[in-house]
Order: sequence, then C-alpha cells, then structure tokens
Amino acid sequence: MISILGLVLAPLVLGTPTTASAGESRPLAIRADRVLLADGKTLSPGVILAEDGRITAVGSDVDIPKDAAVVEHKGTAGAGLIALHSYSGAPWEMRDSTRTVLPDARVALAFDPARSDFEDALEAGITSLVLAPMPVALCGGISALVKTAGGTVVERDAQLSLGFSAQSLRNDRFPTSYGAAIAELERLFEKPEGTFARAASKKLPVLFEVTSREDVARAVEFSARHGLAGAIHGAAWAGELAEQVKSAGLSVVCGPLQVGEERRDLLAVLALAKAGVPFGFGLDAPGNHPAMLRTGAAMCVREGLDRATAWRALTSEAARIAGAGERVGALAKGMSADIVLWSGDPLDLASAVKAVYVDGKLAWEAKP
Amino acid sequence: MILALALALTTVPAHATADRSGQEPQKRWTIFADEIHTSAGRTIANGTVVVNGGKIALVGTGREETPEKELLKVHAVTAGLVDASVRIDSDAKSVEQSREVSPSVRVADSLDPFAIEWDRQLRSGVTTVLVNPPDFDVVGGLGVVLKTGGPESIAARTVRANAVLRGAMGSQPSVGNHPAFGRPTDFYSRRPTTRMGVEWEWRKAFYDAAASQHDPSRAFPGSDLVLRALSGDLTLAIQAWSTQDIRTAVFLKEEVERELGGRPRLFIDAAAEAWKEPQLLVRSKTAVVLPPFPMAAEGNRPAGRTEDGAFMTLEVARLLYEQGVPIALSSHGAAGIESRLPMQAAYAIRGGLPFEAALEAVTISPARMLGVEDRVGSVEVGKDADLVLWNGTPFEPSSRVVGVLLDGVLKVDPRAHE
Repeated sequence: MISILGLVLAPLVLGTPTTASAGESRPLAIRADRVLLADGKTLSPGVILAEDGRITAVGSDVDIPKDAAVVEHKGTAGAGLIALHSYSGAPWEMRDSTRTVLPDARVALAFDPARSDFEDALEAGITSLVLAPMPVALCGGISALVKTAGGTVVERDAQLSLGFSAQSLRNDRFPTSYGAAIAELERLFEKPEGTFARAASKKLPVLFEVTSREDVARAVEFSARHGLAGAIHGAAWAGELAEQVKSAGLSVVCGPLQVGEERRDLLAVLALAKAGVPFGFGLDAPGNHPAMLRTGAAMCVREGLDRATAWRALTSEAARIAGAGERVGALAKGMSADIVLWSGDPLDLASAVKAVYVDGKLAWEAKP
Repeated sequence: MILALALALTTVPAHATADRSGQEPQKRWTIFADEIHTSAGRTIANGTVVVNGGKIALVGTGREETPEKELLKVHAVTAGLVDASVRIDSDAKSVEQSREVSPSVRVADSLDPFAIEWDRQLRSGVTTVLVNPPDFDVVGGLGVVLKTGGPESIAARTVRANAVLRGAMGSQPSVGNHPAFGRPTDFYSRRPTTRMGVEWEWRKAFYDAAASQHDPSRAFPGSDLVLRALSGDLTLAIQAWSTQDIRTAVFLKEEVERELGGRPRLFIDAAAEAWKEPQLLVRSKTAVVLPPFPMAAEGNRPAGRTEDGAFMTLEVARLLYEQGVPIALSSHGAAGIESRLPMQAAYAIRGGLPFEAALEAVTISPARMLGVEDRVGSVEVGKDADLVLWNGTPFEPSSRVVGVLLDGVLKVDPRAHE
C-alpha cells in the first residue's frame, strides 16, 4: 500500500531541484556538508552511495558513478532514527487480555503498514520502529522491527516480551500476584520449551516490561538466574540500578521521555551511560508523538549526556537492541540505505528533517 | 495520651550510611551504656558492648581504652526489635486470588526494597520483621523474615526465606466472595463465603496434603509446603482475632495432630481475644502475636475493638504472660505512630506486664517464633550486631531511640543528639 502511495507521490517530490529520483536501478549518491557516522565521527563534506537499497560506500572522496542520481544536501546526513517500543500500525491489536502467556504471538503478523502513524514517524526522521506487545501479560508475545515505509519487516523475532510489572497482574484471571507471576515464569524457564528455549539459549532476546525500581531488581535477578539476554523497558529510574543492570548484561529501553520530564528521569539516563549500559529510546507511538524521540535524546544531551552516546542510542545501539545491528542503524557499507537529511545537527532541536530515504528510496520530503 | 505523644518522638532522622557511596561503612564500635538490657536473662549496669564485622563481639562490664571514633556512649542498649507481623508494601499484588489455598506464593517476590517504610521501621528501632501476605486467601503463602535495612535488595536482606506458611481464620478471607448464582461467574464465585467455609478449606488442604503421600491425585500446587507445615518443619502462622477464630485455629491444630499424626508448630497472629481462653493456648502449646492495642476509636470502631469485633485491653499481654502463654507484641503492619512496636511495649507495661517480659515480647520471643533466635533478638556474643540505643530506660515516656545499629553498621547516630 505504501509502495503504491510512494509511486503516486514520486512525481510531486521530483520537482525540487536538489532531489533526484531514486530510480529503479540507478545508484543514489547523497553529497552532504556533514555525514554522521555511528562512531560519533563526522565527515565534512561526505558522500553516501547506495544501490539496490543498500549502502555501497560512505566517505569523503567516494567516486560517484556517472549514472547515479546525485542529491546535493546543504546540511547533515545521518542514519535513520530507530524507535524502540512502539504500537504504531495496530495499537489495539497488540494485547490479548484473556490469556497471559502467549509466547508465539507475533506483532509482525498483526500490524497495518498503511496507517498514518508510519508517515508521522517518517516525518520525525524515524525509519525503523520496534512494534511491541502491550505490557499487560506475563508473556505478551514477540516484538518486531519494521520499516516505517514499505511495510518491510526487518526482524520478525526482535524480543520476547515478559511482564514483570503490576500491569501484567489482573484481579480477574491468573495471576493476581507477583508471587504467582514469578513462580509461573520460573516454571516456564525451568525446563524451557519452544520460544522459551530460544530465549533461554539467548537466541531470542527478552524484553522485561517493568514500571518500578523493584520490578527492575526482580528482572535483573530473574535474568541472571536464567542466563537471559535482552533489555529492560519502562522504569524511569532503571539508571539508579545501573550497576546491577550492567552486571546482568542487560540493555535498557529508556523513556519515552516527555517535555517537562522530571530531572531525575534524565539523570537516570546519564547514570546508564556512565555505567556503560547500552540503551536506546522507546517511543510508545501513536500515544506519544514520534517527534518526542529526538526531543527526549536532546533533553538528555542538555542534561550532560555525551552527544555521540545520544546519537548511538537513537540509531546503532537501538538497532543492536532490536537484533538488527548488522542491517540498520548506521551509515556504513552493507547497511540498509535508511538515510535522513537534516538541516543541521539532529540533536539540535532547531534542526529540521528535510528528506527521508528508506531502502534507498525517497520516502518523505519536507514541503518547500 | 501523653505517653503516646512522648513515644511518638522515638524516631529520629536516619543518617546517611555508606551503602550508596561505595565506601565500606565502619563496622567496629564500642558502646558504653548505663544499662544493657540483653533479653537473655540479665541486665548489665555500666556495661560495654563491642561490635565488630557485623556481629556482637563482647558484652560485659570492662571499659578499655577505645578510639574516639569507635566510641558511642548512651544510657541504654537493647537488642534490635523484632516485629512478627508486618505488611510493608505487602498489598493486593502480594496475594494470589485465583486460588483460595496458595501455599507456594512467596510474599518476598512482591516486596519493594526501596519503600520508605523500611527506613521508618529501622529508625523506630525495629531491625527484623516478618512480612506476611495480606489475608485475602485462606492460605496466602510464605512469609519472609527480613532486616529493615542494608543492601537495597530483598534477597540480601533476608534472614529467613519461607519462614512461615501464612493463612487466616475469621471473616477476612471470605470478604468479597460470593455464590456462583445470580451474577457473572468469575473466580471469586467458588471461594468460601463463611467462617465455616474458611475452616473447611484449611482442613481440606491438610487432609489432601496428607493423602497425597500415597495418592498423587490428591496433591495440589504447594501441597508439599502444607505437608511441611503438618510435620512442624515449616512454622504455621494463622491470623485469628476473635475467640471463635482462635478456637478454630487451635482445634484445627489438635485435629491434625490427632487424625493425621501431625506436629505443627503454630503461632496465632493478631490474637486480640486470646485472653478469653488462655488455657486453650497453654494446652495446645500455641504462641500468640498480639495486634497493636486499640487505644483510640477508629472509623466506626470504638476504642478497645480490633478487627472481627475482637476486644482487647492493655491488660491482655499481662494476663497471657501470667498464664504462661508465649507472647510477642506487633504493629500488625499498621503504619500509625501509635501502632509502632516500641509503643506496644510501653502499652503492655502500662497494662501490668513486667518490663523484662515486655522487652522479650518485642525481641527474643518473636525471634523464637520465627526460628531466627540464633541470629537476632538478644544482646549476646556471636549474634548479629542489631542494637537499639536509648537516651533513657527503654519504653519510658521520656525515653527515645537515639541510635540504631544494623549488622554492625551505625544507621542512626546517637552523637547527633548530644
């Protein structure tokens, strides 16, 4: 559906002088004043070369093929942003309140790529989203990493969602208590089968859904006990337990952070960075506006977070947490050509998105 | 009420400990006290307690030269207080209501080590507590004995995991339950709605657990724990406020001894009306934990009345003590200043309980009921260095807690009050 839409829109966006068509077989070359790399370095100027949806070269002096469609950009080019934990495309399909253990439920099979949520995300420079089961079950299912254009599923088995918060307890079905919830999860992981066996052998990362510091403590203990890999999501103050999270080898999905967030929440993100805990940012769109992804990261930078760390949290680290660090999240050879052209530094809130390329194709462009 | 107000001031601000700063806290202390109330049968005048590495290293009368920074001088020392009935952060999420009998649910899994109430308990002198699940089920699960301070982790604070199998008699477990007809079926439809039903669930649990030894089809989730309670390997703690419910608990114990050959170790929690038939408790060797004295009217409940309409006066502790019933005083999880544990000892003394017995009822007596008397509950060499420092004779209206040591770490510093 999106691809059809794309074809319809294509003639409209071709009219602008700085833009060339990402033609079917023609290579795409973007020459920008600054190109942000995943390691925090910047090329200025730099060239990104892409073909068949993938980046073939990034550098200061890349030979541009004669047949390439060349885009000259007076600004900054960076990898598309990646939002962790969202409900775009099917906000009410990602929960099943009648059963509490659904290890084989897949969000990848239950979202609508044509919903306008995705267009909103593109507009904010987000090229991939993790769609997650809602945290209302002991095991809500498996999250997926999807592109915001074209309905492409990048990773069908991103994370197994495990509910460690009071949200997974209800008073009208089992379990109503933390004690029984933990006991049930212990039972499922004691002699794990199927999806749980894949999680127990670290083939499938888990996502611990939490809402409080004691939930974080429980999740860390559980993860260590069963040798799991994955991330913790939902506790504003997970950073205050950064050392424990670090020693359990877990990552953290921060936020979503709101404008006017308590300073304590932002300092917790800094504590994660200081302890060396890998983290990315959640979004919880469509309830939360996609523009908040970059805003939240910028608020952390304002509080003292290192810019390079913030940038990685928005791109490469988020991709790694979603199990797709080799495919998306960085401007490097072999990666998906998901590129955002910014008017300036993306962590400067005065900068605007000018154009978004997904899989080497122009997916969104600011109206002149 | 002046007494209440005076003792209300027994809490003082806790001093920041080195737990979070990364520095090892100082763990060697020498305490000079005019009175050391040991809870071990003696009171030492002008005594010394030396604490080292988290344990009590010396209790005596000698006063050796001590470096200034290791020396604390106070009027009195007691053991850290032990509360055998506490509900810090234990709420609806701590009890499994999809089943009426849930022996294997651990309240420890639901607790918040960061809750401010731990520190409040610690500052009032309470260093060890039994946390119970709330009594929404007939058999609610496993209680845990915890220190009220230390590392911010429930596991690290645990003195005894799975310390008691906890349940209740009386009206509370059946509140909210309803018959299956006349409204949509949910899992509250099949639960007991009367005292008789509650008692039946208890007996069924014991008989099924006993039968499961030769008939596996009678087993149920947690029946192994009920078997352990039957054999006395796991302490049984039953809440029963009124005479009729205390009787039911004692009769249940006697029945399973007679019919199933069990030897359960039972204590009755919240036994407000235990004073009415103390011979029943003596006969069945049952200890009791008393709820806080109902000093003031609360809501539509007059002073003197507790839950389930049970009546209790200040003399109750003395009456039970005189009959030889082992007693512990408790806050029963009430957060009000009047309900705190040191207050209960003061009330019991006012009701005629001798000082020594009141002290034991908030230290070594509950420690014994919980099976942790080898570690806490008295000032004796080798025990955990959990100490309360007082600026006067403990439980007197003009006295207050000025210092608290937990595992040898100074949590409340008496020097801040000099």
